[in-house]
Amino acid sequence: MRVAIQHCDELLRGTARFRVGATSQRPWWWVVAIILVVAPLYGAVMGSFGLDSAERLRQVVFSGVKAPLLLLATTAVCLPGFFVLNTVLGLRDDLRESLQAILCGQAGLSIALASLGPVTRFWYFSTGSYRGALLFNAAVFAIAALAGQIVISRYYRPLIARRGRHRIALYTWFALYAFVGIQMAWMLRPFVGSPYMRSTFFRQEPFSNAYVVVFNLIAGT
Amino acid sequence: MYSWFRQVDDLLRGRRTAPEILSKGEIPLPLRVFTPMSILLGLIYGFFMGWYALFSRENPAYAQMLASTVKLPALFLLTLIVTFPSLYVFNALVGCRLSFSATLRLLVGVTVVNATVAASFGPILGFFTLSTTSYPFMILLNVVLLALAGAVALTFLLHTLRRLAAVPYGTPLQPLPPATELDTPQRRPEPGPLDTPPVRPPAEAIGQAQSIFRIWVLIYGLVGAQMGWLLRPFIGSPNMPFEWFRAREGNFFQAVTQQIQNLLGA
Repeated sequence: MRVAIQHCDELLRGTARFRVGATSQRPWWWVVAIILVVAPLYGAVMGSFGLDSAERLRQVVFSGVKAPLLLLATTAVCLPGFFVLNTVLGLRDDLRESLQAILCGQAGLSIALASLGPVTRFWYFSTGSYRGALLFNAAVFAIAALAGQIVISRYYRPLIARRGRHRIALYTWFALYAFVGIQMAWMLRPFVGSPYMRSTFFRQEPFSNAYVVVFNLIAGT
Repeated sequence: MYSWFRQVDDLLRGRRTAPEILSKGEIPLPLRVFTPMSILLGLIYGFFMGWYALFSRENPAYAQMLASTVKLPALFLLTLIVTFPSLYVFNALVGCRLSFSATLRLLVGVTVVNATVAASFGPILGFFTLSTTSYPFMILLNVVLLALAGAVALTFLLHTLRRLAAVPYGTPLQPLPPATELDTPQRRPEPGPLDTPPVRPPAEAIGQAQSIFRIWVLIYGLVGAQMGWLLRPFIGSPNMPFEWFRAREGNFFQAVTQQIQNLLGA
């Protein structure tokens, strides 16, 4: 436990094993482990909205499982494009470092999410509004994404200094990740769980597209 | 097969269009490898594109899925056939001494880059296809992904042509300029396909070549877009029966504007 917390701390600060230059000795399995262990903590908190019966406990478990799934599935979908783009930009020599930076960013995002868990729980405790809960979670994810970006950017700084083109690769990654991630979150919903619906792993309705839904909401059609 | 993928990887990394090789007037892109690879990689993107016909309707249209898969490499290669003569002529005009077959090899290489980038977006496309029923959204997503792939491929071509223009035929390369402070890591990175050549090109030759290549890129983009329109349906409207080709009407740009309006619900 202490080792795990120490690893998280080093990752956030970018020191010791996670310092910027130490590519080869960075324990990447720890990074994956952090995502797999820490992200479910926030997922569980997220699913604890309106926790008034044993049946609602299932939502806690479902959301806990789905949180790392969201991060890793989004990464998996975006990786081939990122790989080929890096190759065409002539950055394949640095691919190992780029991938480590991205993985560390996801771990940073997970830790930030988990650290905001108590705040979310407190918000649920003080308000019963489902819409409010959804919006609050959107805000928490936005803040955590910022933390993830800080970590990624830290590891990308030497890469960009070496070859400016890494900046293009990094920004493309952010754009792809956000574009796919939003739709992935929409597909994997419910994360919070409407109090008027049964707890399910996936919604029973057919899949739909988040962007089209938002367009229709704005256009009022 | 593995060695073919290795060759495509070399192309993407820019090892086959390195200035040292180009200065010998060679383009080491064997057509018997790169033509099948452009077809194969095109098939991969087309395969993901065809998923929409399976998931958007009550009776999956397997014929549409097959049509999408086959049409995508056809789109790449037909665009190449239509635009190849003009690039060759322009190329000869600006004094790039690439032979006819070398120009063809270079362009097939560009097609492979285009198809590879498109295929690498395949999982993203497949993922959205699985979860989307909106037809206008899928059309626009495909347009955006293919446009991105096309943009990468054309940048690749422009850089290669710039290198060619910069390297007079048969002259040895000047030595590399000394590294600056920023450029002093432990190892010097291998130059990628988009890196500027280490030789100083004659300014006026470059300027002239650049403008002609830009015109050519415009032609390639327009023909590619319109070719896509002619070969439609690629995705297959869920409300229309399957056809191999639709009636010849309108053009690509009218259609995209229309789809944006549809998506916005106007």
